[in-house]
Amino acid sequence: MIELSEVAVDIGPKRIVSGVTFAAQAGDVTAIVGPNGSGKTTLLKAISGEWAYRGSISVAGRELRTMKPWQTAGLRAVLPQATTLSFPFTVLEIVRLGLTSGRSGVEGAALELLAEEALERVDLAGFAGRFYQELSGGEQQRVQLARVLCQVWQPVLDGQARFLLLDEPVSSLDIKHQLIIMGIARDFANAGGGVIAILHDLNLTAMFADRIVMMHRGRAEAVGKPADVLVDERISRVFECGLRVGVTPAAGAPFVLPQSASL
Amino acid sequence: MLQRVSDMPVVVRKPSTEGDRRQRARIAIVILAVALGAAFPFSLASGASDASALAVLAELLGNGAEGAMSARDRIIVMDIRLPRAVLGVLIGAALAVSGAVMQGLFRNPLADPGLVGVSAGAGLGAISIIVLGGTALAPLTALLGIYSLPLAAFLGGLLTTLVLYRVATRRGQTSVATMLLAGIALGAMAGALSGLLVYIADDRQLRDLTFWGLGSLAGATWLKIAAAGPIIAAALLAAPFLARGLNALSLGESTANHLGIPVQRVKSVAIVTVAGAVGASVAVSGGIGFVGIVVPHLLRLVIGPDNRYLLPTAALLGASLLLLADSVSRTIVAPAELPIGIVTAAVGAPFFLWILLRKRGVVDL
Repeated sequence: MIELSEVAVDIGPKRIVSGVTFAAQAGDVTAIVGPNGSGKTTLLKAISGEWAYRGSISVAGRELRTMKPWQTAGLRAVLPQATTLSFPFTVLEIVRLGLTSGRSGVEGAALELLAEEALERVDLAGFAGRFYQELSGGEQQRVQLARVLCQVWQPVLDGQARFLLLDEPVSSLDIKHQLIIMGIARDFANAGGGVIAILHDLNLTAMFADRIVMMHRGRAEAVGKPADVLVDERISRVFECGLRVGVTPAAGAPFVLPQSASL
Repeated sequence: MLQRVSDMPVVVRKPSTEGDRRQRARIAIVILAVALGAAFPFSLASGASDASALAVLAELLGNGAEGAMSARDRIIVMDIRLPRAVLGVLIGAALAVSGAVMQGLFRNPLADPGLVGVSAGAGLGAISIIVLGGTALAPLTALLGIYSLPLAAFLGGLLTTLVLYRVATRRGQTSVATMLLAGIALGAMAGALSGLLVYIADDRQLRDLTFWGLGSLAGATWLKIAAAGPIIAAALLAAPFLARGLNALSLGESTANHLGIPVQRVKSVAIVTVAGAVGASVAVSGGIGFVGIVVPHLLRLVIGPDNRYLLPTAALLGASLLLLADSVSRTIVAPAELPIGIVTAAVGAPFFLWILLRKRGVVDL
C-alpha cells in the first residue's frame, strides 16, 4: 500500500500540491485525473521519490524520505511522461536497464527472456534489435513501459505488493494500444500489485480505474469510486466547462467509446 | 475481452540475439586485449635504435641468450622504451576511460576532458608546481615530493570538472551548448593563469614547461610512473563500479534514481575519477588530446553504449592507440621525435569533425 497523508510539495517558493490524503491499495488501479496544471505530475513525482515533500508518504509501511534508491526500486517502478536518451541504445538494451535493481522476481533462464517477453506484452515483438531513437513517439513510450514492467515483473515479491507509477502512460498511443496498456495495468493489479496512473481520458479512467483521485488546483478535490467521483457538477467545476456524464450525442452523430472495443 | 499476451500459446524459444550486443562486446574485449599484447612489444622494438623485437621479447621474458642484446640496446629497451611503453598504456587507458566516464556523466557523446577545459585546469595545476614549486609552493612540494605534480594537476582538473558540472547541469539536465561554452570559458581562464605563470618563469622552468606542454611520452621514467601510476590505477579500478550507474543515467537522473541508482554518489565518484585520471595524465605527459573522444565513439559504433563493456574496451583500445601513436611519433622523423600530441590531434581533430557532421541532426546545439 502507498499511503499519503497531508502531502504538500513546494517547487521554489510556490506550493504546487497541498493537503493531499489518500491510500492506493494493492489490487487497485488508482487513477489521478484533473486539468492541466492541477498538480498531478508533481504529486506523482513526490510519490516516486523525485521531489521533496511535507507530510507523510508511506510505501509498504515505511516513510518514503527515509528509504534509499535501491530499496524503493524493489517496491515500485516509474514511467515518466517523457524520456530523453543520449546514446544509441537498442530497444532490447533499454528494456534490460529495467533489470538494474535486480528485483524483477524472475531468475535463471527466464531472466534472459524477460526483456523480450516484456516487449511482446506491449505489442512490440520483433522490435528488440531496432534503435530506440528510430522509433515513433508511441513506440518509444511502449518501450519505456516494457522497461518499467521488467523492474517489478512479479506484482508481488516476498509477500510484498509492488506498484507501477505511470505518468500519462497512454498519452501518445492509438486506441488499440491504449487498451493494451491499460489492460496490462489492470492485469498487474489483478495479480496483487498496485497501480497509480495519471490519465487524461475520463472514459478510459471510468473503464479501468477502481479509484479516482481528482486533482484541482493542487488539492485532492475528490477521492473515491469512478461512479462517485465522476458526477456532472464536480467535473464541470474542476475542468471548467459544462460536462455531463452518460449523455450520448444526438442520434446520427458518430462517437466511439473505448468501452465498445474488442481486442 | 482483453487477452493477456502471456496467455497466448507459448512456443519454446531461446533468447534471440537481436539487439543484444553483449556477445559482440565480449569478443571485442578479447580482440583488443590481444591487440594490446601485440602493440606493447612492437612499441618496445620501434625507435631510432634498431634493437630487434625478438631479442626484446626474449630479454623481457628473462631468458634472452647471452649476448643476444648489446648492453646499449638493453639500456635503451629497459630504461627508456619500457617505462615509456608502460606510461603509454597507463595514459592511453586513463584518457579513453575518462572520456567515456565524462560522456556518461554529462549524457553527451561530445564531452571530452580536452575539449571542455578539464585538461587545461589540470595543466594549470601542473604549471603552478613547475613554476612556483621552488618558491611560493615550496612547503607543498617538500611535503608531497614526486606526488606534488600529479596531485596539483588532479586538483586543477577536479575544480574545473566541478565548476563545469555546476554551470552546465540544472535539475539533472545538461545543456550541450552551455557545457561546451562553459568549457571554453574555463579553458581560457586556466590558459590565462597558466600564461601568467609562464610569464614569470625563469629560463630553466621555461625549458621544463616547453617539454611538458608539447604533450609527449618522451622523458618517461620509472619515477614518473611511480608518481602518476597509483592515481591512474585507482581511477581505472573505480571506473567499472560506475558502469551500471552511468548506463542508468543515460535515461536521465530521475529515471536512474527510479531504477535504484544512488545518483549523487555515482556523479561524485565519476567526477573524482575523471579528474584523477586526467590530472595524473596531464601531469606526466602534458596535453594529449582527442583520445578521450575518439576511442569511446569508435567503440560505441561497434559494441553499443553499454558502459559495462565500453569502459574496459576503452581502456584497452586507448592504451593500444597511444602506444601506436607514440611509435609513429618517434619513428616518422627519426632520429628526431614528433610530440605525440601532434599525432593524436592530426588524427583526432578530423575525426571529431566527422562526428559532428554525423550527429548534426541528433546533437542539437
